[in-house]
Parts: sequence; C-alpha cells; structure tokens
Amino acid sequence: MALRDVKPTRSELISIKRRIALSERGYNILKMKRDGLILEFFKVLQQAKESRGALQERYERAMKAIALANTVEGAIAVKAAAFSVRDTPEIAVRSRNIMGVVVPEIESSSVKKSLVDRGYGLLGTSSVIDETADAFEDLLEAIVEAAEIETTMKRLLDEIETTKRRVNALEFKVIPELTEARDFIKMRLDEMEREELFRLKKIKARSPS
Amino acid sequence: MPAMIGPSHYIYVCTRLRARKAKLIPRDEYIRMLNMGLPEITRLIQETTYKREIDELSTSFSGIDLIEVSLSWNLAKEYQTILKILPRPLQHLTSSYLRRWDIQNVLTILRGKDQGLPAGRIKEVLVPAGELDRALQDRLLMEDTSAKIVEMLKGWRLYPVLSREFAEAEESGRFARLENELYKKFYADVVADARAVRGGRAFIDYVQLEIDIRNLQSLFRLRAAGEKGDLREFMIPGGSVSVEELQRLSAIEDLDEFIDAMKTQVTERPLLALLDDLKQQGSLKGRSLQETEIVLTRIKLAQMERMSKAHPFSIWPILAYLELKKYEVFKLRTITRGKEANLSPECIRSYLVM
Repeated sequence: MALRDVKPTRSELISIKRRIALSERGYNILKMKRDGLILEFFKVLQQAKESRGALQERYERAMKAIALANTVEGAIAVKAAAFSVRDTPEIAVRSRNIMGVVVPEIESSSVKKSLVDRGYGLLGTSSVIDETADAFEDLLEAIVEAAEIETTMKRLLDEIETTKRRVNALEFKVIPELTEARDFIKMRLDEMEREELFRLKKIKARSPS
Repeated sequence: MPAMIGPSHYIYVCTRLRARKAKLIPRDEYIRMLNMGLPEITRLIQETTYKREIDELSTSFSGIDLIEVSLSWNLAKEYQTILKILPRPLQHLTSSYLRRWDIQNVLTILRGKDQGLPAGRIKEVLVPAGELDRALQDRLLMEDTSAKIVEMLKGWRLYPVLSREFAEAEESGRFARLENELYKKFYADVVADARAVRGGRAFIDYVQLEIDIRNLQSLFRLRAAGEKGDLREFMIPGGSVSVEELQRLSAIEDLDEFIDAMKTQVTERPLLALLDDLKQQGSLKGRSLQETEIVLTRIKLAQMERMSKAHPFSIWPILAYLELKKYEVFKLRTITRGKEANLSPECIRSYLVM
C-alpha cells in the first residue's frame, strides 16, 4: 500500500487499526496452523520413510522371487501360472481431514489371496510360484500403502508451503504496511492538529484583545 | 499292430532309447557351465542337439527367451519322435504319462482365452510335448470361446473330467479345481494303463511314490500357507497314504508331531531321511520348502534310474529317458535363467536336479 494513496483521516485510521488487529489475529492463527501442519508432516514423514523402506524391501524380494521362479520353473510356467489370475485388485479411495487438508485414505481389496484362492492348481505348480505370488501381493499392498502416505505427505507439504507464504506475507508485507500507514495517518493527524493549534494561536494573536 | 508285443519290441525300443540317453549332456558339463558366462553357455547349447530349434525360432524370439523356447520345442519334438517309434501298448502308456503336458497346455489355452489374451501370446507359453500336437493346439487357439475349445476336445481322454468341471470353472473364473481334478484323473489313468505292459507292476509302485511325493509336497505347501479345513480336494488318491489319513495329518499343528506322524505312514527310505532333515531344520517355508521339493524330485529320479537298471527291457528305460530329457532341458534353463538373474553358481547348483 503506497502511502500517497492513504487518506489521513480519523475514520481511515480506525479502519486501518481494525485491519491490523484482524491481520495479527490471522497471522497468529496461520502460524499455529503452519506449526501444526509441520508437526503432522513430521509424523507422516516417519511413516513415509518406513513405507518407502518396506516398499524397497518388498520390491527387491519380489524381483528376487520372480528371478528364482524363472530359474526354477521357467518363464513359460511362470507366465502360464500368471494367466490364472482373473480377479483384479480393487482400490477404494475415501478422504479424511488433517487440519483442513483433505488427504486420501486408500483401501485395497483382493490383493492378498490365500493359496487356494489364487486360481492356479496346487497339483500343476510348485512352491516357488507360491513364493513369487506372495511376494508380488505384498509388493502391491506396499505400493497402495506408500501411495496413500506419500500423497498425504505431498498435500501436507503443499499446504505448509501455502500457509508459510501467507504467514510471511502477513508478517513482512501486510502488517508492516498497515502499521506504516497507521503511523503515517497518526503523524499526519498530529501534524494537522498542531497546524490547527498554531493557526488558532496566530488568529488569537492578531485579533485585538 | 497287435495289442500284445513280444520281448524283441522291448529290446529294440529300450536299446534305441539307451543310445539316446547316452547322448544327453553329462553331469560334468553342467558343472563346467556353472562357471561360464551366459554367451559361452548359449554357444555351447547351440553346438548341441538344440541348434535346429534355436535357428528356427531366432526370427521370433531373442535373448534368453529364445533359449528357453528352443529348449521346450526340442523337448516337445523329442517326445513326439519317441511316441512314433514305440509299439502300441508302450505308446499308450507313454502317451498317458505325457498327458500332464496336455493338461498344462489345455489349461493355459482356456485361461488365456478366458482373460481375452491374443492367440500369439498364449502360443508362446505352450509346450506341445503331449499327445495334443501343435496343429490341434493351433486349431484350439483359433476358437473364440472357451466353451468351443472344450467341445473340440471331445475325443481327448480327459474330456469327461474337463466337461464336468468346466462350467463351474468358467462361471467362477477359477480353474484351480479343474486343474486339480485333471491331474487326479491323469494319475488314475496312468495306473490303469500300466497294468497292460511289462514292468507295469513296478511302475505302479513308482506312480504310487510319485503320488506320495506330490501329496507330501501339497501338504507342505498348504501348511506353509496356513491353510486348514478340508484339504482332501488337493490330495491325489492312489498313494500309499490314503487321502483321509493325509487330511488327519494336516490337522496336526506342531511341526515335529506332524513329521513324526508322517514318518509312521511313509515307508520309502529316502522320504524318511528327508523328513528327518526337515525336523532338524524346523521350518517349512521359503527356501527350505523349495529345497525340499528339489530333494523330492531327486528321490523320484533316483528311483526311476534304479528301476530302469533293474528292469532293462520294460517300460522303465523309456520313462527314465523321458524324465532325464525333461530334466536336461530344465537344467539348461535353470543355468541360463540363473546366470541372467546374476545368481551365484552355488545358488544355481542348489536348484539343479542332478
């Protein structure tokens, strides 16, 4: 706000004072929100680290299992066993609220199956196929979990960034400018008052007593 | 050709197959391969009987897939050649024994069609080593629906089981029960056909051992997966341990108790030794389960070798050759795939059935 646009009137001063009070209240609330979001973020970050670790570990296990299955059973048998899987895993996405931030809650179904529900027969396959199917089911579950946590983390980060920008704008731009305007109006009003007083004194001095 | 065959037929066929057996890759060669790089192994394979298939398929496949498909095609071709040189009763039993490949192929076609996969992709996974030859498989692949494929298999020996179980499998989208039932019928047919040939009685004992091993394997897998309840559906009847007894054994929670109970049921010495090993390991999961399966396969092959020496002019040398050829292909595949996956020679060796 440029000072030249400020009207040095008493009503403007009252209005600016009100705006300063509102901005300071908003600033305090936003600062608390930012701090709260950062706390939540660190909690989610810990979960994200764990889920990333689990994802990495399960990915390595799955890759090792498929390499072993290809080695022991052959890629042909592995592909033939893979043809048995008809059910595709379903994912239900709901939402929940963390301090005003809408984050997804992902629930997956029919990912982990029992040995008898996988679709391939027990008599035409070997345990290496079970091990591989198990490893990939675990990997898929880890992917779904990591997707939920990492999306939450991303949204929290976006919100923290926005809130931080707002807090900074209030702290370093809006409130200082309003304070400056208030001080300017105050100074101008005081000056006008002094001028008025001086004028009155002059008038009084000129007038015949 | 008459239904009954004389000793000369056995001598002729067994001698021919013994000559083929001598041409199989010796054990030392696999040990050498374990220390070679993948290009060297590939070149070595190309210098053997697999060269023709590799040349034929090199336009459609490349890399490690070319090796694997070529090995499978060679196996299928070898089996078909052997079926042609066998006199009828032996051919009949051998066809029965090779029908497991047909089961695998038919199920792959049905599953592939059920999932709407293109015929080309399904064909890559077929190994026509059984009596359903490549031409018939191509015709099956041309059909639009699974129901029509089943109709086309009307003359197949396992058709009654297939048609009985197919409707439920198609409706539920799960072919596991159908697969299990087909394998059960397969074993029943092999036992029935074995009665008509020389050495058949001993062969029935072998099939019984195979059924026992398969049941034991299934029981271990179900146990490792924590499956409880009625498991009779997954057990093959006809082994030395009855299905009911296996069901009773499956209910035992404690591993030691389970192995002890199993030991009272099993009579074969190698199986008893394996059970002792398992008891010492104290685990039935992951690698130990896979190692157990390999040990079980070794037991099977050793028994087959022993019997083929004890009955030199019978069905044994034929089946022993078929199995040895199959495991030659499996070993080459294990080595090449293992090398591709950067597995250590020791690790690959532990998965070789030698």
